[in-house]
Formats: sequence, structure tokens, C-alpha cells
Amino acid sequence: MNQSRVSFGDRLRIELAILRIDWELDGRIPWRVRRRLKNELRSNLIAAAESNGAMAAVSQLGDLRALGASYLEVYRGRLDARRGAWAAFITYVAVQALAMAVLLAFQSGIAAGGGHGGSYELLPGFGPFQGSVNHGFEMEILSPAHLVLMLVAFLIGSRAWRALPRGIRRGRGSAAGTDWRPGP
Amino acid sequence: MPDENGAHDSQLLKGVLSMALLRLLAECESYGYELVGRLHELGLKQIHEGSVYPALSRLEREGSVTARLVSSNSGPARKYYRPSPAGYASLAECEVAWTTLVRALEPILSRPVPRRPQEART
Repeated sequence: MNQSRVSFGDRLRIELAILRIDWELDGRIPWRVRRRLKNELRSNLIAAAESNGAMAAVSQLGDLRALGASYLEVYRGRLDARRGAWAAFITYVAVQALAMAVLLAFQSGIAAGGGHGGSYELLPGFGPFQGSVNHGFEMEILSPAHLVLMLVAFLIGSRAWRALPRGIRRGRGSAAGTDWRPGP
Repeated sequence: MPDENGAHDSQLLKGVLSMALLRLLAECESYGYELVGRLHELGLKQIHEGSVYPALSRLEREGSVTARLVSSNSGPARKYYRPSPAGYASLAECEVAWTTLVRALEPILSRPVPRRPQEART
């Protein structure tokens, strides 16, 4: 049975530090690598806490965000899933905000015209900009168009093209150019 | 280089950290925190865990070190590192490069520093 001289409070402090570092790595490096890193950090921090206390052990790590960034430099995969997820989320919110604005404008038009209701389709076949107004209102929460837009945002945000095999990316790489010339 | 307080330039140390880690691991396999302690015992107290742990990960990713897990009675298993054959080769290269650099700098640094730099000739 394992015996540790590290108190519950110290373990909590250590876990919080690991959680902070893990937050930097989440979605950016493979899950298995993250788990391995966390286990190693935990064992090192417990060893340090046994000698100097958890507070000193954590402070010796320095800026936890910078430490996470250092690990990212070592292990970063080509696909940044977290950035992709944020891009998809922001796109969804933006599309829904625009759809709500369209709906409110339509509702105002109906009210101004003295009507009781109606339906609209701003872009035929495009889910977010179609809906109906009667006693209440209806609008698309999630349609195939939403999903397509979010997928495109995810692919752009995560820089998915970097995950393509080198052979496919070669043409793009040579166009981007990596040669550096010193200034005058 | 140490100043009057015995402190070393941390940027300078970062440049040679991989070499120092490989050299210490070649002497005795160690886990991360133990290595930090060994560096501190040598007087390199400016090197913190936050620099050593990612440096070890980098060495492992490059294939310069191999690692094995050894169970610990105080918590999760500890990861002990030792140089791989590639690591020994890299260490030998680094030591040659370092020695060459020190030899090249030595004549410059051994000259007395003049009070003022010589004026440029126009």
C-alpha cells in the first residue's frame, strides 16, 4: 500500500497546478501524451512537496501557463482541435444572432403591416434564415446549414490543412515560402 | 557565468541545459525532480523544474533519452531517464562544440578590458 507524507491539502494544490497546465494542453496534444505528462508531473510534484512542501513545489514550476506552452512546443500536433472548437462555437453564436435579428425584423414588419403571422425564407434552403411568426415564433436551432458552417469554421480554426500528409501540402508549402532573407 | 552572488545567466544556462541533463543522466539515471536537485547541488540554482521537465520531454521526443517507470511508495510511478545511443552521440557532439566554443572565446575573454573602446578609423 502506498504511503505518502503529503497532506490532502497539498495534494489538492498539486492537482490544481496540474489542472492549470492541462488546460493549456487540452485539445492540442494527444490525450495519451497528456495523461503521461500529468502522471509524470504529479510524481515529481509529490517528490518535491515531500521535501519542501506543496506550495514551494508548485512555485518552483514557475508560470504554469508558460510551462504548458513549453510542453506544447514539444508535443503540439498539427491539428489544434481547441481553436477549431472555439471557431465553430463563435460561428454558431454569430449565425444565431444574425438569424434572430432577421426574425425580429420580420416580426416588426408583420406587426407594422397589421398582419397576424407568416413565414419567411431569406436564403432558400439555408436553415438559419428561415422561420415563421404567428402567436409565437419558430426558427431553426440546428440545421444542416448550421453544421456545414460550423464544420468550415472548425477546419479553418484548427488549421486542419496542417494535418494533411506532407505530399499534399508540398505545393502549398513552397508557395508560402520558408526562405528568409536578411534585411538591407 | 556566475556574478558576485554566484548567480548564473539563466539564458546562457538554457542553451546548455540539454547537454547538462544528458551528462548527468549518463552518470546516473534519474527522474525529473531528482535531476533538478542534482543541478542545484552543482550550484546551478537558477535552473527550475519548469525548465527541466519540458527539456526532458524534448530529449525523450528527440530519442536522446529512454525512460522507464519505477514504482514509488509515495505516489505515482516515477519516470527515470537515461541516455539512448543517439543521446550518447548527441552528448559527444555537444561536448566537442562546447569545448570548441570555450577555446575560441578564451583568448577574447582573457584580454584586459580597455577603459574606452578604440575609436573607429575613418
